[in-house]
Amino acid sequence: MAEPGHPAVVDATAPARGRLPLGRRLSAWASQERVFRLIPFIAVEAVFILVIIIPFILTIYISLLRWRANRPFEQANFSGFLNYGRVLAKDEFWMALGRTFYFAGAAVILELLIGFVLAYLLHRHIRGRRLYITIFLAPMMVVPVVVGYNFSMIYVDSGPLNEILAPFLEPFGIDPRIRWLSNPFAAQWAIILADVWQWTSLTFLIFLSGFAALPQQLINAARVLGASPAQIFWRVQLPLLKPAIIIAVVIRSMEALKMFDPVVLLTFGGPGISTQTIAYYLWQEVWVFSKYSYGAAASILLLIFFSVFIFFGIWLLVRQRESVRRVDVDI
Amino acid sequence: MAEIVLRDLVKRFGPIAAVAGVNLRIEDGEFLIMVGPSGCGKTTTLNMISGLETPTSGEIRIGDRVVNDLEPGERGLGMVFQDLALFPHMTVFENIAFGLRVKKTDGAEVERRVKAAAEAMHIGALIDKRPSECSGGEAQRVALARTIVNDPSVFLMDEPLSSLDAKLRLDMRTELKHLHHRLRATFVYVTHDQAEAMTMADRIVVMQGGRIEQVGAPLEIYRRPATRFVAGFFGIPTMNFLEGEVAAGGEGDGPAFRSTRVEQPLSASTPTDVAGRAAPLGVRAEHVRLVPSDDGGGRVTLTEPLGDETLVFFEYGGAAPLVAKVDPDSPLGPGDPVAFEFDREWCHLFDAEGGARLN
Amino acid sequence: MADARSRFRHHRRAWVRHAILLAWTFFIVFPLYWMVSTSFKGAGEWVSWPPHWYPHDFTIHNYRQIFTFSALGEELSRDATDQAFSIWKALGDSLLICSVASFIALVLGVFLAYAISRFAVGGSKFRHIILTIRMVPPIVIAIPILMYYAIMIPFTTEVLFGTRIILFDTYFGLGALYVATTLPFVIWMMLSFIDEVPYTLEHAARMMGAGRMYTLRRVVLPLVASGLVVTYLFVFILNWSEFLLALTLTHPEVTTLPVLLNKFQSASEGRLYGPQAAIGTVITIPVVILGVLIQKHLIKGFSFGMIRK
Repeated sequence: MAEPGHPAVVDATAPARGRLPLGRRLSAWASQERVFRLIPFIAVEAVFILVIIIPFILTIYISLLRWRANRPFEQANFSGFLNYGRVLAKDEFWMALGRTFYFAGAAVILELLIGFVLAYLLHRHIRGRRLYITIFLAPMMVVPVVVGYNFSMIYVDSGPLNEILAPFLEPFGIDPRIRWLSNPFAAQWAIILADVWQWTSLTFLIFLSGFAALPQQLINAARVLGASPAQIFWRVQLPLLKPAIIIAVVIRSMEALKMFDPVVLLTFGGPGISTQTIAYYLWQEVWVFSKYSYGAAASILLLIFFSVFIFFGIWLLVRQRESVRRVDVDI
Repeated sequence: MAEIVLRDLVKRFGPIAAVAGVNLRIEDGEFLIMVGPSGCGKTTTLNMISGLETPTSGEIRIGDRVVNDLEPGERGLGMVFQDLALFPHMTVFENIAFGLRVKKTDGAEVERRVKAAAEAMHIGALIDKRPSECSGGEAQRVALARTIVNDPSVFLMDEPLSSLDAKLRLDMRTELKHLHHRLRATFVYVTHDQAEAMTMADRIVVMQGGRIEQVGAPLEIYRRPATRFVAGFFGIPTMNFLEGEVAAGGEGDGPAFRSTRVEQPLSASTPTDVAGRAAPLGVRAEHVRLVPSDDGGGRVTLTEPLGDETLVFFEYGGAAPLVAKVDPDSPLGPGDPVAFEFDREWCHLFDAEGGARLN
Repeated sequence: MADARSRFRHHRRAWVRHAILLAWTFFIVFPLYWMVSTSFKGAGEWVSWPPHWYPHDFTIHNYRQIFTFSALGEELSRDATDQAFSIWKALGDSLLICSVASFIALVLGVFLAYAISRFAVGGSKFRHIILTIRMVPPIVIAIPILMYYAIMIPFTTEVLFGTRIILFDTYFGLGALYVATTLPFVIWMMLSFIDEVPYTLEHAARMMGAGRMYTLRRVVLPLVASGLVVTYLFVFILNWSEFLLALTLTHPEVTTLPVLLNKFQSASEGRLYGPQAAIGTVITIPVVILGVLIQKHLIKGFSFGMIRK
């Protein structure tokens, strides 16, 4: 604690300082608490400011211009909040946003349920537990683009999914070579399913460590008191797992709202625009149609929308964390 | 010279004053133990001496230097921590050598001094092990050796024995006392265990609420506690307390202590100005005499034989039962009626408000 | 009797349990199997009907194609697939950007995590504020960065140094972004490791005269060594998988593997499923192996310091 009243440590050794070699002097300087507190902080903040904050300020500026790729930047004229109005009036923007929440909601609910069940089934020792865990965690490591590719192969009209369904469809004279990704509803669920495939591994992991963190003594105590397994689950384990559930919900929701990779690989937003997520929509507007100012305004609006969720999520995490923080300081 | 002087030492954590003005002179070569309940400020005081905490105000001198602004490592102190703080990734040898390595001592010298310190603490055989492979007592010795090797003039110890089991703790007490004799260094030791303080200290500092309650030799503190808090903190079983008031002596008999159920004559040396005041009376179990009697007003509720003596708990109609130490062959058992009397020379009177000693 | 019934119930439960677990195992493994299997199929088998459950005509042609040093594989060159590159370039780009960016993020993040853990730098909520950056959707970052790299930096450098420096489609441009986006994760994961190093170890070192740098180097960092490795690998995997930023801010000069996989299409034949499967396998195998290696530690890292042991 470098109170102003107490001159820094170096001053006490100041007489000896001149004689020390440079290396020692440097390490003495670096060992001061204020150096330790400030240098990493400044360095990281500098990265954030240079790479994230300044670009955002620039984006706000560009969002107020009328600028498309067909015109040099210098000639773009100022248009006030016109772009913001355009974005807000655009049905596609709202539909993409709504669709994103639909995808994220459906995927996250499935991931939570499946992840929880799998973690519950594996939280105690059973045969093959380690192998199951290894396999269930693997999808997390798979590059999302590859996941998109894999599912595109499975949904292909002459792919394995149709082959499996064929015996049930052919007797009725239906051609089993269904083009799943040409049907809006099926294409949407194809994307949700790809997300579930990949990210149930994360909810499973969080719940598994949640189960591992449960105090076994409490469960034994409940058992001794005569609680049935169902009672132990609902009255003891589930309430104690609340932190894990909150973490899983917050982290997965935040990630799911970013959904982009599987859309590009699976459907390219189609058929029509039925699988355009908000990330895909913005990408298309800026990179395909080169509507820079429009994209800038949309991304600022999106950031504002998402901030609400982000702060709510962080608030949940903080509150949850503070409730488990132990205080064991002897003063 | 390693005399330590604390002057008006204050440490605040936000609104809380963990240490609220401590003045203390620790003599060179003395074994001083700071004792008190948790949260009393003893550890914070120790940490300010060590330099791990910066005082909010006040001054710390070691020898003739004010050390407030010196880094911990520049104060010439050695410290043993509550959790021992052995580096788990280093061997015992490297643990002990750490301080020497920091000072860039040359290799042969390190080897020699580490070996010597390890031999002195009887852990020569453990030198290549990791701390996790050492037993509790061994780890304790490693922590001591690591401190000794740097040859500090002051040893600070923060409840170093609390991680040991009861038996080992007793052995280590004796050993620490031997170590103190051998090294002739100043020991400042923090504990919440009054028995530890009694057995090892040259002087004891009793702290409560960030202040010093009493400083004195162990027996002095036991026999003449300066406050009701000190009286209650030291001694097993806890001192008996009775609420009541002091009556002035009439002709023929001296002053007496009166409560609803008890009338106890007091020593003639009781200051006269105490008379007429409400003053709780404290008396240790060994100063309570019990005799079987049907009309003594007491009834035994419980006995606890300790071997060399027996504790007898009895009710007398007051708020809490009293306890007496009696001969282990005493026939008293639960339900027996007894008469009781206190040794008038060993009755302690305290101020009803502040708890300060009155006689 | 009662015992036999309860044992029967127990067996039935175990059977149901394994049935569920095996079903999920199938669901997880099948897409991966299908990719690996497709990567060994010849062009005629990629989308044949009925599909081949295993390569009838086993070939490593797909791998030969993607690893060919010439810009285009023999079969691909026919169609002038302008975007088809040899995988070597993408592999090199991915390795370079991911390893360097992860390392810089690790170094910056470790020191800040230490400062947060020990001195509560930035206040008690700072660790959460840092997490918000991670939660911002990458597309929202990509649009500003595009304009930043394309307009502001060239303009500024022209004014300041007289040359236009364009970061778009450069190693530095993408790498800097990877550092910024993975820093929150580094800080979070390292916090959970550093928080567990007892203060008293550092106090003990300082009492023996060690400076803070010395203490950090000799006491704290060795104790979190496994955490450093795990965090590095994890961040590496994150960068290795990153698609949106690489897609939008690079190409054709710099190409990472996920972008390459996406670009692997031919004008006349549509998607080149076989070579794509081969690329997918090549991208996936190393990270899955790495992931399995650090699996034990991931549980700790992912608890975000919120689930107590």
